Amino acid sequence: MPAGDGSIHLSWQLPHPPAKVWRALSDPSLVARWLMETDMPTERGRAFTFRAKPMPHWDGIVHSEILDMDPPRRLSYAWKGGPGNSVLDTVVTWTLVPVDGGTRLELVHSGFKPEHGQAFGGAKFGWERNVGTGLAGVLADMA
Amino acid sequence: MQKQSAIFRALGDPSRLAIFESLAGREAPVKALTARFKITQPAVSQHLAALRKAGLVTVRRDGRMAFYSLNPAGLKPLVDWLAHYRAFWPERVARLGALLKEMD
Repeated sequence: MPAGDGSIHLSWQLPHPPAKVWRALSDPSLVARWLMETDMPTERGRAFTFRAKPMPHWDGIVHSEILDMDPPRRLSYAWKGGPGNSVLDTVVTWTLVPVDGGTRLELVHSGFKPEHGQAFGGAKFGWERNVGTGLAGVLADMA
Repeated sequence: MQKQSAIFRALGDPSRLAIFESLAGREAPVKALTARFKITQPAVSQHLAALRKAGLVTVRRDGRMAFYSLNPAGLKPLVDWLAHYRAFWPERVARLGALLKEMD
């Protein structure tokens, strides 16, 4: 769920060393096994894609580009398209922090704003401001 | 995808968002909305037309009066879209965890 600043922040403790987690995050054949088919390169700046099965709200293609690659600490890539193709232009950043017994894997998925200026900001603002009132009531009716 | 974009565009305007929210749980005629938001009747009508086009609002006519109300199903494409991302990463990272185990 996008937070107030238009990003999703999540973290996990994994009982595996950062180097191994890094491989699973950056080796295309491994990424395909948990995320999506991809031709992710090892250098910055080259366009690539993630591909999944098309769904009702999504053609299954995520357009990407490596923005930052600092093994085994930080991997950041663009995440454009996805469900709601015409509106999503976001960035996914993974940070690997070595901890006792493994790795803390942090994810920030940021930039949930469409090209149409403040459209998503407006909608989201309304969404969050109105918890308990207007929209929340509508959502409850739909559940 | 088209539907989400239309909803985002419709709700991206602060006046339209306010009108939309004010219709939650109660219908209203244009005149009441004009008074409530202190904007002209043609402007309110235009906003309502945009909301209707996005499927967010429905209209009921009673004689010469038109009463507007929310279309509860109108937000569904947006809800589906958000639900996807709410569930997406935790589900994928669970798979990553399983993969890491296999890599041992």
